[in-house]
Amino acid sequence: MNRSKLTPYLFLAGPLCMYSVWVIFPIIQTFIVSFMKWDGMTKMKFVGLENFKRLITDNYFGLSLMNNIKWMIGFVVLSIPIGLALAMLMDQKFAGHKIYKSLVYLPMALSFVVIGQIWSWVLEPTGGVVNTFFRSIGLEQFAKPWLSDPKIVTYSLIAAALWRQIPYAMVLFLAGLKNVSKELIEAATVDGATAIQRFWYVILPALRPAVIIATTVNIIDSLRAFDIVFVMTRGGPFYSSSVMANYMYVQAFHNYRMGYGASIAVVQFGITLGFIISYLLNVLKKEERE
Amino acid sequence: MRRYFLILLALLMSLTTLAKEKIIVNSYMSDPAPRKAFAELVDIFMQKYPEYEVIINTFAHEDFKTLLRTWLAAPKGTADVVTWFAGERMRYFAQMGLIASIEEVFAGQKWEDYFPASFKSTCSYNDKIYFVPQSWYWWGVYYRKSVFEKLGIKEPKSWDEFLNVCEILKKNGITPIAIGTKFPWTAAGWFDILNLRINGLEYHIKLTAGEVPYNDPKLMKVFEYWKQLIDKGYFLANHAAYEWQEGATFLFRGQAAMYYMGQFIKDVAPAEVKDDLDFFRFPIIDSAVGLYEETPIDGFMIPANAPNKKGAIVFLKFIASKEAQEKFAKDLGRLAANVQVTPPDEHANKGLAMIVASSGVAQFYDRDTNPEMAEVGMNAFIEFMQNPTRITSILNRLEQERKRIYSK
Repeated sequence: MNRSKLTPYLFLAGPLCMYSVWVIFPIIQTFIVSFMKWDGMTKMKFVGLENFKRLITDNYFGLSLMNNIKWMIGFVVLSIPIGLALAMLMDQKFAGHKIYKSLVYLPMALSFVVIGQIWSWVLEPTGGVVNTFFRSIGLEQFAKPWLSDPKIVTYSLIAAALWRQIPYAMVLFLAGLKNVSKELIEAATVDGATAIQRFWYVILPALRPAVIIATTVNIIDSLRAFDIVFVMTRGGPFYSSSVMANYMYVQAFHNYRMGYGASIAVVQFGITLGFIISYLLNVLKKEERE
Repeated sequence: MRRYFLILLALLMSLTTLAKEKIIVNSYMSDPAPRKAFAELVDIFMQKYPEYEVIINTFAHEDFKTLLRTWLAAPKGTADVVTWFAGERMRYFAQMGLIASIEEVFAGQKWEDYFPASFKSTCSYNDKIYFVPQSWYWWGVYYRKSVFEKLGIKEPKSWDEFLNVCEILKKNGITPIAIGTKFPWTAAGWFDILNLRINGLEYHIKLTAGEVPYNDPKLMKVFEYWKQLIDKGYFLANHAAYEWQEGATFLFRGQAAMYYMGQFIKDVAPAEVKDDLDFFRFPIIDSAVGLYEETPIDGFMIPANAPNKKGAIVFLKFIASKEAQEKFAKDLGRLAANVQVTPPDEHANKGLAMIVASSGVAQFYDRDTNPEMAEVGMNAFIEFMQNPTRITSILNRLEQERKRIYSK
């Protein structure tokens, strides 16, 4: 092998090495542990598919999975259209659009832990901004215990997460809009297309890659939701706002059931992988076409 | 010449600091008051034993509980001493060989020279001592004296009187009972005391040991009494949104009047409220049942993988001493485990008197129960508090869990 062929591999060796130690190896280990009964301290015991069988009958796991699906729907149904609408709006060069853009974009700069903390104060039942607002305008009935009512707590958490997720989608679409050919839009205008027709038949098809990316990223983010749940409710009250990652944490690190926790992680990994693969296939297909 | 001398001096000084043996203490005392008291205690130790340097790593209480296991299970230990709870939660680690026996602390002496004989069993596993108790406290119904006075309320002695007090408070627009159940152990306090008052200590110990089914009709009675308070709306609304300290602020602001809580509620009370806080013994429900109370014991243990076990023993010997115990108890108004230390103040005297007059004591639900059972149990209590009518299905589910967990 001549030198120029070797160079890229030499550059890759370092990162690959780290990637194996910190990503590949733990994944393999998690798979192994998921077939074990292990308290994290004493010897592991092989139990076959026992952990996975138990998952099927575990109500709280079912609940957590359902909550993840709610997160997913909330992320896709809300953050994509709103993000797109905001991007279209911000793309108009109105006065001060840069300031508005930064304001909307601001939550992106915060970590989920900070966002969770802020929103637990906003949604605090007695003195929180939301309930104080409703009470002050005489709409007492809308002042809800956002974080302690098991029926609404998951939606409160999703709302908090969307505060960061929507601007994220907006950024992706803004980048996408840069690639929409101006000539095409002008040509459509000359041909007498209305604004709605221009959006629907010219801009949106051109944004297809951005929509796919934004959707996939949102789905993956919704599946790995953890930080906000952990900070705001710890999955409570009584697991009603639990998500898979959170339930895994409780089982593995609180209940000392490493094997069971690992099996939850494996299921979560499988679902996420499904979405990532379908995304990659989409990208590959597109590259072949071009 | 002078410069060389200075350099030499600096070198020597750094050598002596290097020569100091390190003792690393991982602590969950994260509330400001206990944190300060413990830091001062460690300073006294370092003055007394200049050959040691003690490093305290403080962790938030709830995080500590999950982290401890990773420290204990690590092949190479990092902490020499860790704070922990006596009873089942300590034994859990002792039976796996993850903590070291500390018999050496009492070398040439007896346990009874330091601590009450009645504490020995909760601090031991297989007749060996694993735990040095530092302080203990009682649980009681804490209340605002000023609120009671203003409404002409006297401390209730019986359940009916207690319900009556709640009713008066509620009529006057004050939440009768504060609680914060974001972390569910506060609800476990209610479960414990109701079970102790209704079914007694022996039954309670059997239950926490996993020997009694959770759908036992006797246990149902506990929830029937609890339900009376829930149905009448005596508990703080939206309690699942608050941590225990946040629940306590309602008490401190005078918006709530009572809180069934451990003495450590005084740690977080603002100065102007502290003296307005008093407690009474949880009211009697069945006069045929003895008066049992909850008295958790806090203290220290040594991980089996501690790098400096020798230093850890010296440190724990100091912690067990009258001087150290007196200082800590005095700072926080708790009761020292050391028998030679008298209660630090009137309030602690009252607490001690209540415990001495009891027929027996339990630790606490999540200290007496297997950790996994405690987790599902405590969450079930919150679910019950929010949906009291679901109690039968909740208890049946707990029973399934108990069977699974204890069949291991």
